[in-house]
Amino acid sequence: MTNRSVALRRRAVKFAAIATAALLAAACGSNSGTGSDSAGAGEVGMVHYFSDEGGSKAMAKVLSICQAQSGQTIKNSPAEQEAFKDAILVQLAGSNPPDLFSYWAGAKTQYLVDQNRLAPLDDMWAKNGLDEAIPGSLTQAAATYNGKRYLVPIGYHYVGMFYNPEVMAKAGVTAPPKTWDELLAAADKLKAAGVTPFALGSKNRWPAQFWFDYLLLRTAGPDYRAQLMAGKAKYTDPQVAKAFELWKQLFDKKYFNDDPNGYDWTDAGDMVSSGKAAMTLMGTWISGYWDGNGVKAGERYDFFPFPEVAPGVPQAALGPVDGFAVAAGAGNPAGAEKVLACLASPEAQQAVALTQGALAPNPKADLSSQNEVMHRAAEEVGKAPVFAFNYDLATTPEMSDAGLNALARFVNDPAEAASVLAEAQSTADGVFSGS
Amino acid sequence: MTIRRTWWAWGFLALPILTYGITVVWPALYSFYHGFTDWKAVGGGDWTGTANFARMAQDPSFARALRNTLIWTVAGVVVPTVAGLALALGLNRITRFAKVIKSFFFLPLALSLVVVGQVWFWIYRPEDGLLNIVLGALGLDSWRHAWLSDPATALWAVMAAWGWQQVALAMVIFLAGLTTVPRELTEAAQVDGAGAWQRLRAVVLPALRPSFVVVISLNMINALKSFDIVYVMTGGGPFRQTETLAVLAYRVAFKTYDFGYGSAVSAVLFVVSAVIIGLFFAWNSWKDRHA
Repeated sequence: MTNRSVALRRRAVKFAAIATAALLAAACGSNSGTGSDSAGAGEVGMVHYFSDEGGSKAMAKVLSICQAQSGQTIKNSPAEQEAFKDAILVQLAGSNPPDLFSYWAGAKTQYLVDQNRLAPLDDMWAKNGLDEAIPGSLTQAAATYNGKRYLVPIGYHYVGMFYNPEVMAKAGVTAPPKTWDELLAAADKLKAAGVTPFALGSKNRWPAQFWFDYLLLRTAGPDYRAQLMAGKAKYTDPQVAKAFELWKQLFDKKYFNDDPNGYDWTDAGDMVSSGKAAMTLMGTWISGYWDGNGVKAGERYDFFPFPEVAPGVPQAALGPVDGFAVAAGAGNPAGAEKVLACLASPEAQQAVALTQGALAPNPKADLSSQNEVMHRAAEEVGKAPVFAFNYDLATTPEMSDAGLNALARFVNDPAEAASVLAEAQSTADGVFSGS
Repeated sequence: MTIRRTWWAWGFLALPILTYGITVVWPALYSFYHGFTDWKAVGGGDWTGTANFARMAQDPSFARALRNTLIWTVAGVVVPTVAGLALALGLNRITRFAKVIKSFFFLPLALSLVVVGQVWFWIYRPEDGLLNIVLGALGLDSWRHAWLSDPATALWAVMAAWGWQQVALAMVIFLAGLTTVPRELTEAAQVDGAGAWQRLRAVVLPALRPSFVVVISLNMINALKSFDIVYVMTGGGPFRQTETLAVLAYRVAFKTYDFGYGSAVSAVLFVVSAVIIGLFFAWNSWKDRHA
């Protein structure tokens, strides 16, 4: 090697080292910059999953109402629902969580509370008189965890048996079934008329849970189900086997459409509105879907509550509750709480309910312009002695993934009920062993 | 004359190496570390040693995902390679409208895997999907099937959709490789009386060795990392039957909030991929030295 090339090499090493150091400094410098980039004073970052057509319209109205009421600028970050479930974990795990974010009441919120990721809202709750705005039963079920308030409910849905009145009438079913036997009789008439009695689109797994939830609620009752969700009862218990047995009867008599796992819930909804099927067990959000497709409420769709199966069992109502929470490390918690207080107000809740096809927790929200199907759904919830969350919100995330999987396997082949439940229980043993 | 200006190269390489290190190497190492913890993203993170790996050995989901990944790798290398070669050989003989026809076969490559997944999801729909409609029209009603929700057919259906795009990739590479086959050799063989099949085996295939290496490596790598097309078409379903290791890692991390276990599965996927690809390249260089 010549002297010249050695000198050149030394210069190259120095050059590379300086370049690297400069880049590192720039990277580190900008990092600390973004660290404090959370909403400046007066700005509240809001992340939510109301991003579909109805949801975006609802949030646009809510934003204008709440920006005025709270005096804060709201940075709106909608995300698609399934993507949100993943993204929110990542955001909460980072050092810059969103100030305010939407979330589902029940086991999912309990999980975050147990990991200390949510800020308690008791002070804000008392200061803004939310005990008058949100009914006690909902506060107890949806807002309170480990004795403190963590979530402000903004809307909820009710799961009922939605049906096509024209198809039912043509098949000779004159009155909505009130008991299990009446339901089976109606299904028989529909089958004879060439209509699929029940449409189920469980491609994304969750629509099947409503059948499991209601059958268990109507036979073993809400108290037993709460035990099962908490891991204190077993999936191999006779009560669960009984619920699956009843469900299997429906499959054996071919009351469901072929291949439910191949269709989405909207496909099942289309089957009902087009007359190929008569009923689908779904939440009130399907009214938003049908309204958007021009299917007229009351005439071409209606609902009845899931019938009584075992007499004397409390007729619980089932459904998810959406709410908003404040992250524990939020940059602007004071501003977030102001916006939260607005979200509990009648105007904001009315905006969400009307455009989403949801029901409003705040009884003062003026929902008179909603269609009568929604009014009757709200009445049903009011009448119900207990409000229960659907399966994937009632039990821990780890168990719910395995449980939904088990339901999908059962729907695929109902003869496998016993092995499906045994597998679910073995997962449950692992999940709940720590508690 | 040797090039002594290597110091310029290091200067230019500094930024890409740094970026690669920060965005690929460091997160990968960080993820491998978490495979040994019970990290839950929003909590946990305590060292658990090999607990995750012990759990993996007992987990039927892991066994199925590993099996699916290996099946995919084998079938995903053999079928697209052979089909791509056949297509390339056939297209090579076309002279009229050659460019137009080759462009049609090239089109699947221009689509993202998510689009491919969505298109084939519609083709496979039980009631109104193209495949079942065509089968019905041909009178093959008994062949109509719920392709994506029947556990027996779901994985193969997804692999077929993925293979549709991979064949195009293989075809393109083989077409390029065929232009390098020495004309004098094929003509000499023809003069010597060699039939088409003999010409293929003795002249064309050996000349295509480098193309084979590229096609097989690309197919292998794409098969091992399959995630997007599975996620879009079945989400890993029906009830986890179409999960590959990548889909399993994602589900376990983001759906059951067990990021520690998910990281462990990703680490295993990395090792499996490294072993398979490493073996292939080792075999390849052995053949090079002993050819």
